[in-house]
Amino acid sequence: MAGQDGQEGGRESSQGSRVRPANRRVAQWMRDYARLPGIPDEYIAQDGAPRAVWNRFFDAFAALSPGEIDRRFGSADRHLREAGVTYRAPGETSDRLWPLSHLPLLIDEADWQQLTAGIVQRAELLELVLSDLYGEGRLVAEGAIPAAAIAGSAEYLRAVCGVKPPGGRYLSLYAADVGRGPDGRWWVLGDRTQAPSGAGYALENRLVLSRAFTSLYKSMNVERVAPFFEAFRDSLRASADRDEPRIGLLTPGQFSETYFEHATLARYLGFLLVEGDDLAVSGDRIHIRTVAGLKRLDVLLRRVDSNFLDPLELDASSQLGVPGLIDVLRKNGVVVANMPGSGVMEARALLGFLPSLSRRLLGEDLKMPNIATWWCGQKAARDEVLSRLDEVAIEGAYGRGVPGFPGSGPVLAGELSAADRERLRGAINDRGIDYVGQELVRLSTVPVWDHGRIMPRPFVLRVFAAATPNGWTIMPGGFCRIAEQTDARAVSMGDGARAADVWVVSDKAVPASTLLPAVDTVRIRRIAGWVPSRAADNLFWLGRYLERAEATLRLVRALGTSQRDPGKGSSPVLHALERIQRLLVTWGATSQSSRTQPAKVAAEALQAEDKFGSALSLVRAAQRTATSLRERLSPDAWQVITEMVERLAQEVEDDDGVVSAAELTLQELASFAGLAQENMNRAAGWRFLEMGRRAERAINTVRFARQFAYDEAGGEDLDILLTLVDCQITYRSRYLVGPLLAPVRDLVVLDPYNPRSVAFQVAALNDHIASLPTLKEGGLIERPQRLAVALQAMLTTAEAASLDTKTLFSLEQDLLNLADAIGSHYFPHGPNASRPEKLTGLA
Amino acid sequence: MIYDIRHVTSYAYESPVSFARCSLRLEPRSGDGQELVSHSVDIRPKPADRTVRRDFFGTHTESILIETAHRNLRIDSRSRVSVSRQAPGRAAPSPTWESVRDVAFEATSLGPESPIGYVFASPLVPVQRPVTAYAAASFAPGCGILAGAVELMHRIRTEFKYDPKATVISTPLKEVFEKRHGVCQDFAHVMIAGLRGLGLPAAYVSGYLRTIPPPGKPRLQGADATHAWVSLWCGEGLGWVGFDPTNDILVENDHIILAVGRDFSDVSPVDGIIVGSRKQKLAVAVDVLLVE
Repeated sequence: MAGQDGQEGGRESSQGSRVRPANRRVAQWMRDYARLPGIPDEYIAQDGAPRAVWNRFFDAFAALSPGEIDRRFGSADRHLREAGVTYRAPGETSDRLWPLSHLPLLIDEADWQQLTAGIVQRAELLELVLSDLYGEGRLVAEGAIPAAAIAGSAEYLRAVCGVKPPGGRYLSLYAADVGRGPDGRWWVLGDRTQAPSGAGYALENRLVLSRAFTSLYKSMNVERVAPFFEAFRDSLRASADRDEPRIGLLTPGQFSETYFEHATLARYLGFLLVEGDDLAVSGDRIHIRTVAGLKRLDVLLRRVDSNFLDPLELDASSQLGVPGLIDVLRKNGVVVANMPGSGVMEARALLGFLPSLSRRLLGEDLKMPNIATWWCGQKAARDEVLSRLDEVAIEGAYGRGVPGFPGSGPVLAGELSAADRERLRGAINDRGIDYVGQELVRLSTVPVWDHGRIMPRPFVLRVFAAATPNGWTIMPGGFCRIAEQTDARAVSMGDGARAADVWVVSDKAVPASTLLPAVDTVRIRRIAGWVPSRAADNLFWLGRYLERAEATLRLVRALGTSQRDPGKGSSPVLHALERIQRLLVTWGATSQSSRTQPAKVAAEALQAEDKFGSALSLVRAAQRTATSLRERLSPDAWQVITEMVERLAQEVEDDDGVVSAAELTLQELASFAGLAQENMNRAAGWRFLEMGRRAERAINTVRFARQFAYDEAGGEDLDILLTLVDCQITYRSRYLVGPLLAPVRDLVVLDPYNPRSVAFQVAALNDHIASLPTLKEGGLIERPQRLAVALQAMLTTAEAASLDTKTLFSLEQDLLNLADAIGSHYFPHGPNASRPEKLTGLA
Repeated sequence: MIYDIRHVTSYAYESPVSFARCSLRLEPRSGDGQELVSHSVDIRPKPADRTVRRDFFGTHTESILIETAHRNLRIDSRSRVSVSRQAPGRAAPSPTWESVRDVAFEATSLGPESPIGYVFASPLVPVQRPVTAYAAASFAPGCGILAGAVELMHRIRTEFKYDPKATVISTPLKEVFEKRHGVCQDFAHVMIAGLRGLGLPAAYVSGYLRTIPPPGKPRLQGADATHAWVSLWCGEGLGWVGFDPTNDILVENDHIILAVGRDFSDVSPVDGIIVGSRKQKLAVAVDVLLVE
């Protein structure tokens, strides 16, 4: 960062000599900026003059040369790609990169204050309405809200009627989508009360942009977003009924479209990332399954929609929830944020009632207006909509889509056929309760960067509010989504929109007393407590996959380099090569061995797409496993895995290419091991990654020994073995003769000081197991430990002379058993264990 | 009339089940023309925990927790209920269906008795155009709600085939409607979907039906089954009226109500999750005995 910073400072300090070209550039950008007629713009005011904040921004921005701007944008994009910031659009099966609009949305402080006041008031109002709806029910009984406008929402949760929200509130995190209307005011377009998404993306966006433009960011006096997240975290902690609460972020899992964000938030806030399967009800509490048994969970920040939370009381087909969760809420046993059922406030049917509810409950008018919305369940509003059918957008009153019409967006009567128009009219007349009419608003535009020019595009801003013991606090910034078309009304990420960082800009210099960090750094917090079993399981397998990839790569390298060997035609060498290939076939890395073309076999074992044991398949499996561990891996570690996959997926040109790809990947594996060793928190599951590695290495080393140190093994065999396990130098320094069977066996299998030997791996496994908690009472030694201790005793007392092929085979079986025992002991709900099943049939 | 009802639900598992958490809705309700006289449930193996509450719809709901390993779960419920209700005649005068709809839409309560809870789609009953159009044929403009519903019930009884093998509880309504076959809960769901499409408040009722053996034949023990029908809100005056589309009759003294909800998912008599066995076999035996 320092280098980049210095560079940028250098350029900006030389601004004096470059004033004219910079000014010319800004003038040119402004001239080419074609505002849309009749629509307000963030950059240029109605009178044609640029607004002050944007002027400041573009002046500083133009001081960077065009090449420098491209370089900075390129670095921002690279960071996003390398950090793996992805978004999965609804209906897509793979992640795609999350498109970042390079220019931030700027909002000056005075404007922001108004917006903030409106959002705080609205959050207070929605909380009051929710507590009445699920509590006393006076608003409906007294006619302030029509019962139908509530009953129609699938988010009106009958199961929690009358249940007091543990922690005392319905809404902990609230978001509003706002846009600037034609009158220049901010309007609320919709409320997000269920489980608002986007805060994690906003965080990542800020990180990327503030890094790419460090000096510019500093000079603009941008409000930091970190204090908002700290306040939110502290408030969730305070909502629990004990001091050091355990907090989980409940995600639907890695197939959720916003999984990356869940992992980001969990890591940033220091919460455990959990799935429904990780949790269990026991007594009147929710518990998390960890490697140390069930541990009480105090607070659940949910990113799972209400109806999927409890298959016992809500959607029975849900696999995402926790059976019995609602009953725990009744018993005040867990805080769930937001409270299940809060999503009912997202219904568009309610928008039109909020102005009068505000007067009734708060005694004041709404500070920020809604987009004008008429719920067709009431005659006057229905008549209004029907009389202006072409001037309004028709939306469903409760969820996505308009009942009876395809698609998930609004229906514009003007674009329908005559028959469909009549059908719409009929539907509104018959079941008006299902529809709302909304004013068609064209939202204000913001500059986006497009190949050296700026262009206006409409946007929607999501503003986040967190409840704290001292009232609502607003994130200064937000999640801005920008439409690609100039005429977009409803903006959805899935429709190819871009996202932008949002800078709330103060025109006052930052007070000297504040130690404003140069960038909004992500402070990675220690994940407290025991690792959830599922995460431990994944770490264990990540270790195993990487280690197996390493073993495969070593075989590939040995096979590839053998072609350079002067004695390559000799029969002992050919025989040894056949043994390498036989191993690769057994491991599923290649389909068959070849006496004449071992290089082809090596290439296949390196990167065959369709072989589950190829090095490529193994690092891909590691990557898949790592995906569900995102909150536990450092960005560097993730990057190394991504690079390995990319390297092995590239076609290699010749035999040398195979060897060098294998070598480079082996180096990356070593650097991953180094990162894990040096950077990974010992409490966050490092042990399980290590145990996976050690177990796999022990198994592979015995297999190597069995192939190349068999009872009749010759010098060539033993030589290959020493290469495979990286022990050539040690051997030569210890023995002045060529490879002999007993010394090699001793070094590779029994030597406790050789970090590649089987004995060394078993000793390490013993250490790890001994430092893990015991799960059962009674003081009996547990199975993994029993097996590991026995193995270590055997390896300690064995002599190389008695270590024949048969013994090696039984050693391999014992190691496999140990690996299985670790799995079934610490990860009892892993893929092979039983999940909760529904009772079947109609009873 | 007084009935003794025995309702035995048994699950047999292929491998031992170590854990079960279930919700039971087996206690017949009092009200709506019936009184619960006595009720007991025996559960084997014995639960570690039993807690009772009334759910949103007022149904007696018992949550049980079993933590002993078992291969068989048997829930034996016995109830005595006295029933005395009078249905309106099939041709009785009633308000127009449009007026009932409009009154329902104006409801000012979200309670379980309020019609507004039963005019929208629910988890197992989507509101879909073809089903609404099917129902609309029985509701001409200005038609009385009772007359329309009686005709719709009659059409379902005659146009749908009763076939216990055709559907399971997860068969979607769309398929039942297109293939025109199913069992009592399918017919109830179809009728409810059609009525709701028109904006009429229709609830799902689970319960028991007294079966009368063919002349000269003895009543077979355990041959009865749980039953399901429709309750339609017919305006302030008539209130909720029961329609049994499986038998094309209005609900009177042969029906014993267990629970009322929006659809089967709200009233399922035994529901739950288990840990341990994928293969399950379910047997349900119901006896409805007329005491006097």
